[in-house]
Amino acid sequence: MALRSDQSTTRDSREKITIRNVSRSYGSTRALADVSASVAAGEFCCIVGPSGCGKTTLLRAIAGLDDPDGGSILVDGDPIAGPGLDRGMVFQEYALFPWRTVRGNVRFGLDRPACDCPDCGARVRELVDLVGLDGFEDAYPKELSGGMKQRVGIARALAPDPEILLMDEPFGSVDARTRDRLHAELLDIWSQTGQTVVFVTHDIDEAVTLADRVIVMDADPGTVQLTLSIDLGRPRERTSRDFVDYVARIRDELGSPVDDV
Amino acid sequence: MSTRTDTGSNAVVAGSFEGDLRRYLCGLGGLLAFLLVWWVGAMATRPSYLVPGPLDSIRAFIDLFATSTAIVVPVWGSRLILPTGFAHLAQTLFHYIPGLLLGASCGISLGLAMGWNGALDDWLRPLVRGLRPIPPLAWIVFAIVWFGIYHTGAAFIVFVGAFWINFYGAYGGIEGVSSDLTDAASTLGVERDLSMLKLVALPSAAPQVSTGFRTSIGRCWMIVVGAELFGAPGVGYEIINASNNLAMATSVAYMFLISLAFLCMDVGFRLLERRVLAWR
Repeated sequence: MALRSDQSTTRDSREKITIRNVSRSYGSTRALADVSASVAAGEFCCIVGPSGCGKTTLLRAIAGLDDPDGGSILVDGDPIAGPGLDRGMVFQEYALFPWRTVRGNVRFGLDRPACDCPDCGARVRELVDLVGLDGFEDAYPKELSGGMKQRVGIARALAPDPEILLMDEPFGSVDARTRDRLHAELLDIWSQTGQTVVFVTHDIDEAVTLADRVIVMDADPGTVQLTLSIDLGRPRERTSRDFVDYVARIRDELGSPVDDV
Repeated sequence: MSTRTDTGSNAVVAGSFEGDLRRYLCGLGGLLAFLLVWWVGAMATRPSYLVPGPLDSIRAFIDLFATSTAIVVPVWGSRLILPTGFAHLAQTLFHYIPGLLLGASCGISLGLAMGWNGALDDWLRPLVRGLRPIPPLAWIVFAIVWFGIYHTGAAFIVFVGAFWINFYGAYGGIEGVSSDLTDAASTLGVERDLSMLKLVALPSAAPQVSTGFRTSIGRCWMIVVGAELFGAPGVGYEIINASNNLAMATSVAYMFLISLAFLCMDVGFRLLERRVLAWR
C-alpha cells in the first residue's frame, strides 16, 4: 500500500500550472482563501471537495473566466490574462451551442480568430470519431443524450488542441453506467493527447478512478487540505483494497460526510 | 433494451396520429356546433340585420370577389382595379406591412442594443418603462395631426404597436443568453464584444426575437383595424362603412377576410420559423 502525502512525487518536474496564494470572496463568503497548488505538465489532476469549497471557482480562475481578488495563476511561468485557446474547458451542463450541429459545435474553436489548420473538416471528423460520435455530425444538441452531449463538449474543447484541459464536474449529470464508459474513454483520449488535465468533482470515487494526483479541498473558507498521489495502475478496480484505502483516506481528511452522488 | 425503446417510440407515433385525427374531428365538431347555434340564433332574431346568418355572411363574402373596386397605390400613385375584397385588403396592407416591418426593425434593433449594452440600458430603461404602457391607439391623435388619418397615419400606429412587442422580444432574448454559453465561447477564442454578439448572443436570442415578431403580426392586425375605424382606408374601414348601411353581413364578410389574412400570415411565418430555427 502506497499512501503518502504528495510533495516530492511529481512525475514531471516541469510545472504547467502554478497557483500562488489565490483568494476570492463573494460578499462575506471566502470561496478561496490563500490557495496554492501546482499541476505538472501532462498530469491528470483531480480537485475534489464538498459543495462550496471553491473548486469550481478555482477552475474558472485557471480558465480566466473568473478574476481572483489576490494571488496569481501562472501557466508555463507566465501569468494568465483572461481566457485563451491554450486552456480548453468542459462544462458541467455541457454549454453546447444549441443552434449548431455537432460538427458546428466542434468546429467553433477552430474558426477563432481564423482557421489555421490545414484541413479543418478533417480535424472535426477526427475529433468526432475520437469521442465516438461518427454518424451524429449533423445532429443538433437537443437530439442527443446527456452522455453524447458531453462527448461533444469534450471534442469541442479539444479542437483547438489546448495544452490544458479543464473539466468542471463534466459527468455529474450522466447516469452511472455511461459515466464509467466516459471515464475509460477520457483516460484513453488523455493517453493519446498527453494533455494536462484538471478535473473538478465532488465524487471521491471518480477522483481516485481518474487522477494521477488528487487535490483535496475543504469548504468555508475554501482551502487545500491535502494533495495525494494515486499510485495505482489503470484501469482501476473500485473494489480493490488499495482503491478503497485511497477513498477512505480522502474521506477521513474531509471529516464530515461529503455529498458524493 | 433496444426492443423496448422501439416499441415505445412506435406507440408514441401511433398515439400522436390517432390523437391528431381525434383533435381534427373535435375541432370540426366544435365548428359545426357553432355554425348551428349561429344559424338558429340568426333565424330567431328580429329585425334580421342584428345578427346576419352564416349563409348570408358567406354570400356577402363571395360578393366581395364578384365586384371590382379601383384603389390608388400610395407612393406610386397608379390606379389598380381589383376584386373588392382584395382591393380593400390591399389598402390595409399598404399601411400594415410598412408599419409592421419598420416597427419590428426599429424595435428589434433597440431591444438588442439595450439588452447588450448596459450603459445604454441604464440611460433608456426609465424612458422605456414610461412609454411602454401607452396603448398604440392612443397615439392616433398624433397620427392625425402629424400625418392625417390616411396610409401614413395608420402605418404610424402600426409602427408603434410593432415596435414595443419586438423590442421586448429582442431585449428579453439578449437578457436570457446564458453565461455558460458566453463562457464557453470565451474559452474557445471569442474575444471581441462584437464577435460575442454575432456568434453567441444573436443566435441564442433568435427564438425569442422570432416569437416577438410572430406575436406582433397578430397584434398589429388588431391595431390596424382600430386605426381604420378612425377613417384610414382598408378592411377595418369597410366593416364600419358596411354597418353604417346596415349591411351587417358585409361587415361579417370583412371579419372573415381579416381572419383569413391573419391565418395565412401566421401559418406562413410559422413554416418559415420551423425551417430557420430547426435546432430548437
